[in-house]
Amino acid sequence: MNSRIGHIASFPFAGSKSGIRKVVMACLVVAGLLAYVGGKVQIMRLGYKIDELERQKQDLERANRSLQIEASSLSSPARIEEIALKRLGMVRPAKENIVVVRRRTTDVSAPSTTRVDASLLFQLKTDGEL
Amino acid sequence: MTDRRKRIAFVAAVLCAVFVCLVARLVYLQVIERSELARRAERQQEQLVKLEPKRGTIYDRRGRELAVSVEVESVYGVPSEVDDPRTTASRLARILSENPSDIQKKLASDRRFVWLSRKVDPARAEKAKEIDPDAIGLRLEARRFYPKKTLAGAVLGFTNIDNKGIEGIELLYDRELRGVDGWILAEKDARGRTVFPGGNGLQYNLPQPGKDIYLTIDEVIQHIAEKELDRGLAESKARGGVCIVMQPQTGEIIALAVRSAARGSAAFNPNNPQRHRPDEWRNRAVTDAFEPGSIFKAVLAAAAIEERAVHPQERIDCSAGSIQVADRVIKDAHKNGVLTFADVIAESSNVGTIKVAQRLGKARLAKYIEAFGFGRKTGVDLPGEISGLYRDYRLWSGVSLATISIGQEIGVTPIQMATAYSAIANGGILMRPYVVSEVRDKSGKESVKTSPAAVGRVVSEETCATLRKILQRVVEEGTGKKAKPAGYTAAGKTGTAQKIDQRTGTYSKNDYVSSFVGFAPAGAPKLTILVMVDSPEGVAWGGSVAAPVFRAVAEQSLAYLQVPPDDLGGRMLLVTR
Repeated sequence: MNSRIGHIASFPFAGSKSGIRKVVMACLVVAGLLAYVGGKVQIMRLGYKIDELERQKQDLERANRSLQIEASSLSSPARIEEIALKRLGMVRPAKENIVVVRRRTTDVSAPSTTRVDASLLFQLKTDGEL
Repeated sequence: MTDRRKRIAFVAAVLCAVFVCLVARLVYLQVIERSELARRAERQQEQLVKLEPKRGTIYDRRGRELAVSVEVESVYGVPSEVDDPRTTASRLARILSENPSDIQKKLASDRRFVWLSRKVDPARAEKAKEIDPDAIGLRLEARRFYPKKTLAGAVLGFTNIDNKGIEGIELLYDRELRGVDGWILAEKDARGRTVFPGGNGLQYNLPQPGKDIYLTIDEVIQHIAEKELDRGLAESKARGGVCIVMQPQTGEIIALAVRSAARGSAAFNPNNPQRHRPDEWRNRAVTDAFEPGSIFKAVLAAAAIEERAVHPQERIDCSAGSIQVADRVIKDAHKNGVLTFADVIAESSNVGTIKVAQRLGKARLAKYIEAFGFGRKTGVDLPGEISGLYRDYRLWSGVSLATISIGQEIGVTPIQMATAYSAIANGGILMRPYVVSEVRDKSGKESVKTSPAAVGRVVSEETCATLRKILQRVVEEGTGKKAKPAGYTAAGKTGTAQKIDQRTGTYSKNDYVSSFVGFAPAGAPKLTILVMVDSPEGVAWGGSVAAPVFRAVAEQSLAYLQVPPDDLGGRMLLVTR
């Protein structure tokens, strides 16, 4: 033990104030460098994370777009018509099923004179505007 | 103590020597070799990535998607990383459905990068990559997709594997749809991951996405036109056909259906253009001319009424259905006696029409043919339009006046004929037909809208009103009875034109073009509809083959557009409030 104490006491900087200062300075420089490198590593890690999240975002956007296109594909008039006619058994309204409702142009304040048929299938609201 | 100091001095000297070596090496790397190493590092760490712009979307008139771009995987290979090209190629070929020898040739090449299969479905792409992740990679690319499949295929056209427009709107508006390429200089680590995305010093030029295109086409009416044309072609076993639905007041094309010239072949699907022959790609409504036959008599009628060469009620002797013109005898389909001019058109008498044409003369008839737009392009925004076949009247032969007046010896495109009838429907103004109503950038700030463009007045409103009544008579009492839509009045003309027999060079006796063109409702036309059926089998009369297609398209389209019925005969109720 004694001899160890003797070793420390004989360290070249022992007892020298300027020596201690140099050691402290060196430690500070090393600590600064470590902090700098650590920061850089942290930025890189965050960079990778952002990249990964960006990728996930793109994948989700792509999936969303695919679903929108699938919806667009499934809503094609040919498919809707086929389902309506074949699966749901719907039919086109015949001439006698259509009731044309026209607004009176004269004396608009007068009460309605004719009742609308209860079997009205659809009303013609516009005048064929495209 | 002395020994210890010596040891310390020795260690210090060794450390100093190592340090000096390190410094020397550092100086060598950082000063002497700096530029070369920096260049090599840049090459390894930085990657110039080409950014493909997103191709614009094509919508119908109500904003429903007709052509979109989707991102799909493409499979590439790095030949230098492949240990056994033969085995890898055979495994890849099975997954990617490609030719094994082609893939082997690519993998054995000395190139740094080779495409193995482009735009494949994601499951196949993942399987391919699993074979050798170091040598096989995936890259996202945009692929054109037409969600409504065959709908409006001839109008939309298609793109090639590099998203370049090849036909249709995709070709004509390729510059607008394509956008501008971009690039990014990205810093990559050893594993190819992006370092510092968006960091300082990042160099990039973002791609400018293509513009969106809004068509005048309505996908529902387009579907109606295609479905009914298919039905008509199947019933008549025809070789092909065209159906055009147009807004007569503006020239907007609401539907344009084209079916192939090959019997039994499937409708053109732009998702798989390679499955169709190149002649099936083209839009026959603008690229092909046909002899119109009797539907051309409306042009003669318009000219004769405008020039007061005839009155609709004037009685014309149809010479029992036969007339000699120069060295030719031209006959009617049915023997007619004396008919009013209105009935000449309603019954489609060739003899009566020719007699009126002879009164009018070559120059005056030619003036109106040209005014209706025949012999020149309509200017429709579709690629490949032709002018048709029309000779200057000074070059006409002795029989030309007679034959042209009944729609022979002249070639017209379906779009020209639909445009001419639209002029009759709208009161005499020839409109430029168009398909694209708006080109809009993604932000919606920049937008170029197409306005209806009048080419000029062809005939007066009075003449058009008279002619509309005559054409209405065709549908109500004449050859076009099967064109009458339930609940609506309609006006139009049938046509049955003999085709030229390619072997003999004369008119064929069993090969026809059957057509019907007209508009509805007759009083206030909302739609002009042309139906042309090429080479029907059996009964070939336009009134039997094309008129029923017109009726079905008109009935369904007018109901879809909620046009109030104007023919309230039968059991239809009218309720007033």
